[in-house]
This record gives sequence, structure tokens and C-alpha cells, in this order.
Amino acid sequence: MLKPVALATGSLLLTSAVALAQDRWDGADDLPVNPLACDGAAAAMEPTPYNGGQPTGAPDLSGQQITIVDVPKLVGIGYFAATTLGMQQAAEELGNVDVSTDGPTEANIDDQITVIDNYITQGVNAVLYAANDPVAIAPVLRTALERGIHVVGYDADAEPDAREWFINQAQFNGIAKAMIDSIVAEIGEDGSFAIVTSTFTTPNQARWIAEMQAYAAQCYPALEWLETVEAQEDNILSFNQANTLINKYGDDLQGLLGMTSVATPASAEAVTQAGLCGEVAVVGLATPNAMAPYVNDGCVESVVLWNPVDLGYAAVHVTRALVDGDLEPGDTSVEAGRLGTLQIINGSEVLLGAPFIYTADNINDFDF
Amino acid sequence: MTAVTETAGGGILPGLRRLVATQEAVLLLALVVLVIVVGTINPRFVSERNVQSVLLGNAYIAVAAIGMSMVIVSGNIDISVGSLIGVLATLSGSLAVSGVPIILCWLIPLVVGAMVTGFMGLLVAYLRIPAIVVSLGMLSILKGGLISITGGDWITDLPEGYHLAQMRPFDIPMPIYFMVFLTIGAAIWMRYSVTGRSIYAVGGNAEAARLSGISRERTIVKVFVIHGVFVGIASVLFATQLSIIQSTVPPNLELTIITASVVGGVSILGGVGTVIGSTFAAVLLAAIGSALIFVNLSPYWLRAVQGILILVTVLADILRRRRMSRRR
Repeated sequence: MLKPVALATGSLLLTSAVALAQDRWDGADDLPVNPLACDGAAAAMEPTPYNGGQPTGAPDLSGQQITIVDVPKLVGIGYFAATTLGMQQAAEELGNVDVSTDGPTEANIDDQITVIDNYITQGVNAVLYAANDPVAIAPVLRTALERGIHVVGYDADAEPDAREWFINQAQFNGIAKAMIDSIVAEIGEDGSFAIVTSTFTTPNQARWIAEMQAYAAQCYPALEWLETVEAQEDNILSFNQANTLINKYGDDLQGLLGMTSVATPASAEAVTQAGLCGEVAVVGLATPNAMAPYVNDGCVESVVLWNPVDLGYAAVHVTRALVDGDLEPGDTSVEAGRLGTLQIINGSEVLLGAPFIYTADNINDFDF
Repeated sequence: MTAVTETAGGGILPGLRRLVATQEAVLLLALVVLVIVVGTINPRFVSERNVQSVLLGNAYIAVAAIGMSMVIVSGNIDISVGSLIGVLATLSGSLAVSGVPIILCWLIPLVVGAMVTGFMGLLVAYLRIPAIVVSLGMLSILKGGLISITGGDWITDLPEGYHLAQMRPFDIPMPIYFMVFLTIGAAIWMRYSVTGRSIYAVGGNAEAARLSGISRERTIVKVFVIHGVFVGIASVLFATQLSIIQSTVPPNLELTIITASVVGGVSILGGVGTVIGSTFAAVLLAAIGSALIFVNLSPYWLRAVQGILILVTVLADILRRRRMSRRR
């Protein structure tokens, strides 16, 4: 009779413990937060000294034709095809830049290093990269700097001293503001919502949730957070968890926030299959391809991410400015063509700007 | 412990005692207790909608656990099952997108699944390589192959009519029918068919099975082939549940499936267990996951509870075996 007793006790145990009151929303970390202003004004930044590297003996090519090679994590996927497109747009606009993309066919750091190494030997004026590994890529980038080649990162950084500048596609507080603003636009300032995340301890998601709470507390104090559920990076589990939230809260649930590119489409799927489109809003971080079906159906209005075309575009503009001497250590902003003035943060990072909101009007223009 | 149990159950109501002593009854009891307790705290837990969600939640796990239970009863294991589901789901989706008739997109994964696991069965049966080693190798091959071929891309734009798992005959989700009917069918087959019974014989005592004229080799290959068919069905349910196929598999999917089998009372030592138990266990795990949300408990409890269930079940299995050998 051991088993029934033990199992029954196990089941009762589940219900007897009491959920602890938490200061922060579940799934948020305990790090300091820095919410943006409600009206979107740039946050006051404490100036950080420049912490990037410097090329040795780079020739002065100010205003002259330059050759840039772009080495993304891998080629052949929609995301990096979009960054390449942005780079070509910038090159065409500038007229004195020749940029080509070449990279490994798999996101493999060893292959990526080999590609960069080859271009250093061939000779180029600048290298753009999206690192497969921030530490492992650093030595080859330092070699490039030593040979007088400019080095600029985007999407995924290396150790700061191994490159001059990095284009940061989104900050935690920027994403957080876009998420909360988007959900409020659908459910109202006093609406209620739940969050589907990967795990409570996944670093990026925990940062975003902490910043979302700080921003909501400051700008929409009546907004009601119901709970956060974990769904790993598992699409069926995400779907099940979203279903459970819908079943548990009924009409009290007005919105779902998906924190991963897996959780967001799965939440949209749960809402769709429950026939609750228009009643339960879904907003989240996800890629356009995964969300296009739901956005085109009208079940999802906004998907939050950055625009990789703009990211590539900015990378080439920043490189041009760097070569022309228009961007130097200590600067607080840089001009980037149609994107206007971009802010410099964290010593040697160029912030792309506010996140991009994919909607029914633009989501079909992207393929990644 | 044995003495206490004997006294408690012996004599008074032996029939009832035997019933309660089966793992299936224990799981059913746990499920009933859970439903009553959580349903009292929050009546929405037992709403028709949530009951459907719970039954649907692990239906594909339960289907995969049927095959897994057979493999474990035969004294083997397959830890590549999670990766195989990923590969077969991707295969099914890719076929559908490229315009292959939908019925074939549903059936081809069953055939390919049976071929892959059948190959493992051959290695296990005739070359006598332990199943854990064979399936570990297969896991690496499948996982690596999947990532290289798809590059992690998702399959979208699936054709109309492909989403089997989203169909709702009589307003009940299709995966629930698969779970119920496949479980009943497999349970009857394992109990009454010659091959079904020989699986228990091979897993329980291979030497005795050989002496009674059962071919260990052929039985093991058959078990693996049948397992592959169930994996194929599970992969189609997995692939068609959402409108998008993620070409990666849920983390630790194989562990979840093996957990369902083991908690369902399938002895990891072979020879004992039923697929009814593994299906009950899969449903119980889904119900616990849902209940944690309904009573506002951290989902970390789910893992802890899973662990406790496994340990308790295995412990009970060992005690039961010890008692049986003492009787002899």
C-alpha cells in the first residue's frame, strides 16, 4: 500500500503549498531596471568611456571608394539575407562603398573564422561580422585590426576590444516599452494579461520581463499582470500553457505576451483554435515568417522585433562614418542615412533605435 | 514493509487489494484525487474545455509511449525517440509543402519510422548491441542530420486539410481519439496475441522464452518495427497540432515519453507493464502541469513531481519483484 499513499500525498502536496507573494512579476530577474520615458524620450545615459579597439595604421580613405566584406553567422537564411539587403541599400545610397556578403553555410564559428581569415589575407578595408561565438571570434578580429582593417559588429557581438563599434539592434528597455505599448493599444490601460516565457531563469527573457514591469508600473499603473508561465522552447508545451491560461482566466484574460519566438506563435495558435481572436490579444517577440499566418488572419496585430534590413543598413553607414572620421571614440551619436541620428551607448555600441513593429501592413515584406 | 502490506490486504478483500495494487489503478486514483482537489479550489479546472486541453496536451506523448512501453517490456529502450519524432514531423511537413497528397504525408512517416527503428531492432537483436548504445548513436545521427538539413528553419504555408490533430470529430480533438483507441487496441494485442505475449516472455526471462520456442531475435525486431509505427503516428500528431512545424524537437522529449512508460508501471527491467498504464501516466503528467497553473504553483514543481513519481514507481516495482521472488 506504499504507492497509493505516496502518490496521493504527492497530489495533495501540490495544492497545499501557497504561492509566495513576489515583488516582481514571475520570470523577471533582480537586476536594476532602467525604464524608458512613457513618451519615448531617450533615457538619460551615463556616459561610458569608449571601450572598443583601434586599427593600427589604417590608411586614410576619407571620401574614397572602400571595400567591405560582411561575414554573418551563416548565409542562406532569411534573416541574414535581410541584413545583406540593408547593406546593399546603404552602399547604393552612399555610392562609394562596395560591400559583399560571404559566410559559412552553417552557424559554425570555425568556418566563420576561416572566412574572415581569407578576407584579411586578400585585403579589404573593413570587416562586418555577426559572431557565432563572442570569445572565439575575437583573435581573428584583432588580427584584422592589427592589419589596419576596420572592424564593426552587428547582431551578435565579440569582445569589445576586438572590434571598433557594434550595432546593437535593441535594448532590453526598448523592447519592453514596445511590448507593453503594443499590448496596451489592444487591451487598454487597465487591461489584464499573462506572459508565456521560456523559463524563469533564461537571461534575456528575465531582463525583458523585469523591464516590462518597470515600464508598466511607471506608465500604466492600472495594467494588470495575471501570471507568467514557463514553456521551455517547446511549441506544444507553449500551446498547452496558453490554453491552460485561457481556460483558467476565461473572460478575465485579455492579452497574452509571448517572450520567445516559440511561445508567441504557439500562443496565437491557442487563441485561434479557441476561437478567441479579437477577444484575447497576442503580442510578442517573434520572427515575421512564424507570425505571418496569424497577422494575415487578423488574430495578431503587432509582432515586436527589430528590422534586420535597417540593422544591415546601419552597419554600412557606421563603417563609412568610421572611415571618413565622422565617428570617433567619445562621440555620443552618429548619422545613419534614412535612420537619422543613432545614439551611442555602452561606450562603443550604436543603438539601432526603437524596435520594429511588424503589422499586417509590412509583415509580408520580410522573409525570415 | 512486505509484512505490513500482506496483513493489510490479505484475507479481507483480496480482490479489491489486487485491483488497487495495479499501477493503472494507482494512477487513476491519483488522477481522481487531483481532479477533485484542484476542481474544488478552482472549478474551471474541470470545465469541459480544460478537460479537453488536458487530454489533448500529452496525447502525442501517450501514443509514442505505447511503442516505448513495448520496447521497454521487451527488455530494451529507445532514447532516440525524441529526435525521430522531430525528423518524421519535418519529413511530413516538407512532403505536404511540396504538394504530396496529404494522406501520404500522414502515412510515409509511419513507414520511415518503422524502417529506422526496425534497423535499430536488427542491431539489438542479431548483433546483440545494447539498445541504449544503438539508440544513443541513432539520436546523434537524427539530431545532427535534422539540424544540417533544415538549418533550423520552420515549415510554414502548410496546405489546407493537412492539420490532422486540429480536426474535431463530434467536437473532440482528433489526438484524443488516437490516444484512446490505440491504447485499447495495443493493450488487447499485447495481452492476447501470440506476439504480444512473447514480448513479455522475452523481456521477463529470455532463456525461458527461448526454451518455450519463442525467437528472441524476431520478437525484438517486431517490437522495434511496431514502436516505429507508433512514433510515426505521434510525429504526425505533433506536426499537425500547430499551423507551423518547428524543425527542432521539444527539449527532453524522449525523457517525457520514457517517464510516461515508467510511471505507467512498465518495469525498466523488462517483462512487466501495460500501455494502459503509460497512457494514464501521460494524462496524469498533463493534468499535473495544468493543475500547477490553476493553483498558482511554480512550474518547477512539475519536474520535482515527475521525479518523485519515477522514484516511487521504480521503488514499488522493486518491492513487488522482491515479494514475488520470496513467494516462489
